[in-house]
Amino acid sequence: MKKNRYILTAILSVGLLASCSKSFLDQQPTNQVPEDQVFTTADNVETVINGTWAYAMETFFTYSVPGFTSILRASDAMGDDVAVTTKYGLRDAYTFVEMVDNTKNRVSAYWTILYKVIDNANSIIANVDKATGDDAQKARLKGQAYALRGWCYLTLASFYQFNPIVDPNAKAVPIYLTPTTPTTKGNPRATIKQVYDQAIADLLAAEPLVTGYNRGDASKKYKIDLNVVEGLLARAYLQTQQWTLAQQKAAAARNGYPLMAGADYLKGFSDVSNVEWIWGHPQTPNQSNASYNFHFLDVSDPGSYYYSFMADPFFKNYFDNGDVRTQLFDWDTLPSQEGYLRYKKFRFRDQTALIGDLVLMRTAEMVLIQAEAYARSGDAGNAALKLNELRSARGAYQYVQNTGSLIDTIMIERRKELWGEGFSLSDILRTNGTVVRKAFTSYTGGDSIIQVPRADGTFKAVKAKGHRTLRFPDGTVFTPQSKYYLFAIPLSEVQNNPSLNN
Amino acid sequence: MLQRLLLIFLVVLGPLLGAAQTRTVTGTVFSAIDKAPLPGATVVVKGTTKGTATNAEGTFKLDVTDPSATTLVVSFIGMKPQEVAITTAPIRISLESASKEIDEVVVIAYGTGKKNSLTGSVSQIKGAELEDRQISSVSRGLQGQVAGVQSTAQSGQPGTDATIRIRGVGSINASSDPLYVVDGAPYTGSINAINPSDIESISVLKDAASSALYGSRGANGVIIITTKKGKGNGTNINARVSQGFSKRAVKDYAQVSTNDYFQMYWEALRNAGLTNGLSADAAAAYASSNVVSDLGINPYGTAYPTPVGLDGKIVPGAHPLWNDNWNNAMQRTGQRTQADVAISGTSDKARYYVSGGYLNDQGIYLGSGFKRYNVRTNLDLDAKKWLKVGINLAAAHSDQQAPPSEDSRSDNYVNYGRLMPSFYPIYQRNLTTGAYILDANGNKIFDYGAYRPSANNPNTNLVQTANIDLHNVNRDDVSARGFAEATIWDQLKFKTTYSADYTQRMTHDYTNPTLGFDAPIGGTVDRGSYRTFSWTFNNIFTYDKTFQEKHHISLLAGQEAYKYKFTFIDGNRSGFSLPGLTEPADASVLLGYTGYSDVFTLSSYLSRAEYDYKGKYFFSGSLRRDGSSRFSPSRRWGTFWSLGGSWKMTEENWLKSSKWLDLLTVRASYGAQGNDNLGSFYGYQALYVVNSNLGEGGTYRDTLANTNLKWETNLNLNVGVDWSMFNNRFGGTVEFFQRKSRDLLYQLPLAPSTGYPSIAQNIGALRNNGIDVTLRGVPVRTRDFQWSVDLNLTHYKNVVTSLPQKEIISGTKKLMVGHSIYDFYIREWAGVDPKTGAPLWYVTDPTTGNKTTTSNYSSGSLYYSGSALPDIYGGLTNTFTYRGISLSFLWAYSLGGKVLDQDYPQLMHTGNNPGRAWSEEMLNHWTPTNTNTNVPLLTTNNTNWTSTSTRFLYDASYARLKNVNLSYTLPKSLLDKAHLNTVTVYVTGENLITIYGHKGMDPEQAVAGVTYFRYPAIKSLSAGINLNF
Repeated sequence: MKKNRYILTAILSVGLLASCSKSFLDQQPTNQVPEDQVFTTADNVETVINGTWAYAMETFFTYSVPGFTSILRASDAMGDDVAVTTKYGLRDAYTFVEMVDNTKNRVSAYWTILYKVIDNANSIIANVDKATGDDAQKARLKGQAYALRGWCYLTLASFYQFNPIVDPNAKAVPIYLTPTTPTTKGNPRATIKQVYDQAIADLLAAEPLVTGYNRGDASKKYKIDLNVVEGLLARAYLQTQQWTLAQQKAAAARNGYPLMAGADYLKGFSDVSNVEWIWGHPQTPNQSNASYNFHFLDVSDPGSYYYSFMADPFFKNYFDNGDVRTQLFDWDTLPSQEGYLRYKKFRFRDQTALIGDLVLMRTAEMVLIQAEAYARSGDAGNAALKLNELRSARGAYQYVQNTGSLIDTIMIERRKELWGEGFSLSDILRTNGTVVRKAFTSYTGGDSIIQVPRADGTFKAVKAKGHRTLRFPDGTVFTPQSKYYLFAIPLSEVQNNPSLNN
Repeated sequence: MLQRLLLIFLVVLGPLLGAAQTRTVTGTVFSAIDKAPLPGATVVVKGTTKGTATNAEGTFKLDVTDPSATTLVVSFIGMKPQEVAITTAPIRISLESASKEIDEVVVIAYGTGKKNSLTGSVSQIKGAELEDRQISSVSRGLQGQVAGVQSTAQSGQPGTDATIRIRGVGSINASSDPLYVVDGAPYTGSINAINPSDIESISVLKDAASSALYGSRGANGVIIITTKKGKGNGTNINARVSQGFSKRAVKDYAQVSTNDYFQMYWEALRNAGLTNGLSADAAAAYASSNVVSDLGINPYGTAYPTPVGLDGKIVPGAHPLWNDNWNNAMQRTGQRTQADVAISGTSDKARYYVSGGYLNDQGIYLGSGFKRYNVRTNLDLDAKKWLKVGINLAAAHSDQQAPPSEDSRSDNYVNYGRLMPSFYPIYQRNLTTGAYILDANGNKIFDYGAYRPSANNPNTNLVQTANIDLHNVNRDDVSARGFAEATIWDQLKFKTTYSADYTQRMTHDYTNPTLGFDAPIGGTVDRGSYRTFSWTFNNIFTYDKTFQEKHHISLLAGQEAYKYKFTFIDGNRSGFSLPGLTEPADASVLLGYTGYSDVFTLSSYLSRAEYDYKGKYFFSGSLRRDGSSRFSPSRRWGTFWSLGGSWKMTEENWLKSSKWLDLLTVRASYGAQGNDNLGSFYGYQALYVVNSNLGEGGTYRDTLANTNLKWETNLNLNVGVDWSMFNNRFGGTVEFFQRKSRDLLYQLPLAPSTGYPSIAQNIGALRNNGIDVTLRGVPVRTRDFQWSVDLNLTHYKNVVTSLPQKEIISGTKKLMVGHSIYDFYIREWAGVDPKTGAPLWYVTDPTTGNKTTTSNYSSGSLYYSGSALPDIYGGLTNTFTYRGISLSFLWAYSLGGKVLDQDYPQLMHTGNNPGRAWSEEMLNHWTPTNTNTNVPLLTTNNTNWTSTSTRFLYDASYARLKNVNLSYTLPKSLLDKAHLNTVTVYVTGENLITIYGHKGMDPEQAVAGVTYFRYPAIKSLSAGINLNF
């Protein structure tokens, strides 16, 4: 009897000792990967470029901040030509109470996206040389990382401080050039000139490294190649008033991307295969967070939730008859949006999956940069040539030299051509301009009644609706260099970065 | 149901009726002190060995064959034996304590102990106290019952658990949840899978001496749930059935009428027009012209196309043609049905308990509810003289309908009705007459409101689709506890236990393809599977011996290993081919598919030594070492320990003779416990998240490494005194505690420009000092009537004692030495500017210190604004018994502390969210004639006034009648013929009365004092019957 119990105890004791193997306490995640495994091969480093890009484009903060491109939505909501309705989303950016307020989710979301991309780019720049693999691939990856970083600093420079023409030494945002470590402390704000210089330096560093890189078919248009880098440089030079360089880089960027046919302008701006798109982010049913932007932009698809980007009725007046773009205007007679002027430029590509590709850069913008750079450097002839190149493509009247201000004409053409693509506020800031919004009322100041033709041949009388916010929230009139134009640095940065204002 | 049960019983037992030729004596044995039934008391015919023992309910039935017998002797260990005359009427026997104290056996870590001999702090709740409660999760039964336990049931969604904090908040970011132990092993199954009827007792271990043996995970206290075992003689069958109804516990925030809404929205538009520079007349015209088009509908009918005149008043003659209440339409009276049967007993070498349970708890919101099916088998065998084996097996299946109700989703079922004002029709209306529009069959047609503003979810109608869409959570829980205990030599025993908990949670969310939210994309379906499997394997030697009848030692040493594995998969699709189909196979577009698994392991060595001298002086010590996979190899081992002592003064000669004092014990303990749970399983590593981009693999930097990350340590001091007096009629426990946590596991915020919101670190220290008081008394005790009172209260203060930097601001709180981790640090509301109606906040100039006001929210300064933690909380129970009638009230209360209401501001917009409902308080908005107000002027511009500030910080003090129970135990004489032992009928209510100042909000909120979109708490009224035979 006693023997039995000793045997049993012995068996159990052996069993428990055997179960205590050393590796029992070593556990690894399955949906994350330790850093040291990432920088072993060039192919692995490639995943960081892809993953960072997906993070930037697809991260939801709230439904009103669907990734990086929602920065472009805010830029337009804070400008002249989009009359944002009271629907969820950009309504507070439109009334200038959101981006000035460092407690707002949108403010911290944009900051978080931009600096997350910068840190990942820094990590690639610092570590890619150590990886094994094809040298050309490694060089290109480094170039793309420089370009990503330059793009982020260019975006920060565009929205977080007035253009250097106002004050080049004004403090803007912190600059980081090395990957964050556990001991990294927050950097102080660099001057706006330093931030622009950094953006341009990064893009110039990227230029030779991506030269010769062929990214493949249209579905890869999200990848950064030489055209994209040149286009970003053209923007950077335009914003820093370096006209010749801006013109040259714009010309290089559009190389291989002809202006689209007039009819393509009416196809919804949601297909990356458009010949004019130099850079864009495609969407699929299972990668569609960025498509949520279309719920604000798309004002005609019944599946669109918010359709809040209506056109200012005054905007319509800038167009000539016959301009293909005028076909997009349509006064709305549906119950909840009656009287709004729809500009049906953006439409979901797939109306059952509610997805649409996001445009990031296209030839028309480069043509306009060329025109503006020529005009501002005094070459009115070439400027008019470029302006008319675009106008003919859109079926608009040709500009005749010495009729009205050439620069003003080009700036208005930018608004007409690039409406909804994110250039409103950044153009106001880079030109030290001001927001202009007027109430759309009858000449007596009362309701402006519009007779809208319907498909069945009848007309419906609707009260036209235009801008609903005509002043800053404190009741003052719109002026240049207003604090309301600048994106705030989020409160969490102010609270956790003691060096911020050093 | 009940009839059916009774029928079965009668059929089975009927033939036995009338068979008895002898005298049958029945009765119940109680403890005199607390009137609790005494199971296992011996009842014998005087002078013989013939007798029986009382069952679990303390009742007995004895057939006396000897006609000459006249007296029964009733005895129970520790009680004075009592003689009673034999009668055929049921007898109630009340046994007095033999010694002057009653010592309760309580379940403690890795064993049991006598309450008055413990060096640590343990409170125990008996299963009987939970049996009649209409709760679907055990965690909800603790509120107000145990000193030191802070329990808040934040959600009224059936089947959800309460949050439990024991003796303050020991961690900032690391988990502050206690460890649940079920039948001896840490439990990782669902708490709501445990049937409260199966519970024998719940022990709450509050200090180091009692819980340090669970070292690694005991830092936040331990809740030990012990399920019932077979006991007594023979077989005992217990059946319970109850049926109840539920409603919202407190009324929702009151809202303005349609007329008020339209006039106020007019005012908001007019004021925005003035801000835009319009003249007063132009602004008024603009407002009158835009009210209806902004709100999307004209409830005054087409006869009044401009219902609000230029004076801002509803034009004469206009009145709303309908007034619909969406909040009510989304709710219903919930029904609750519960039925349990348990069979238990003992035989020569086995003890068994077998039970089954059914619960159907319907929610008060459409499409919500919880159904549970339970079975349990607890079996103990004496396999050999030296070998005991046992197995407890429990399985539960539950179907929960859990629609979105606790997040900011637009299809949140609670917010949906709350935020929809009265002028949006539920059913389509004729816009001229207001009459319902009927379909061909004469039925009303749901209005999907394409015209509604975005605040009111256009193209949806949850009142209809709540009955079509699915938000199901199906859960299967299997829990097994198996042990073998061998006596090796003398009092040396070896026990090996293998415990496993398995939970499979399957979610099924479906939105239909034709109506409502996801109709544009043809409906969606999401199926997720969340599987957890965990096991604990422990091997323990124990030795227990008394030397020279004075020295008693008890030793324990062993090893334990724990492994937790979580596996997750989730896939979703959209675009249903045909309506009526709800599974992924029926939908055409793959939206996503993902999955991963996590493993967490712990390896431990533990030991404990206890010694007492003559039952007078008690000492205990424990030591445990734990290795956790959450830390790097160099930092993963932690050592935890405890020391305790107690002195039972009433065992000393100089007190033994006291006439009035029955028990006086002083206790003290000190020790260290650990916490490794910072949320992440891999917090020490630098990790890249794996994602993808358009079919190509992706990764990006997500967390920074901190290989120095180590255990958070809690140092707990407990000093207490227990007493009992006047024949145990009055007594109590007072304990002082100090919990010091150091090396706090914390997500230290970083400047977001570094690319990271935070880094995992051990930072600083904090301290919880407090006092727990438990008082009990029987103010009135007569032969038939008794009134007893139980009161418990806890006060504690939570203070940060060390930080690596001056301050850390995180959300609505700021950490700073000398302040609590739950001290609000938010903007201070300075009222409404009487001149302009603008909202104001205080701002302090950092250089001069001057305090002024600003109407710009973001430039307002942040101030410490009080703590979310209550000053005192606890419970008060009054029980009245008169013969078989018992009436008890349990009040739970919490005094002091603040709560930040983040739900209410949704109804407090100034008109910047057109169409969203307005609370009644908005009627008091600023106007040039109403300048002394706390509500600013109306405008369609966002003034930020509803942003977080002390304006929405309310006193959190409340009292709630948690439970009231009226029961009647039928007299024995009625039951004998049915061969029933006891029959109790009862009526019970939960949350019937709530005393609270801020109307509309439920006072039971998160410990951190911030509300966030929740399913409101319910009150319920139920009736039930318990049968025992």
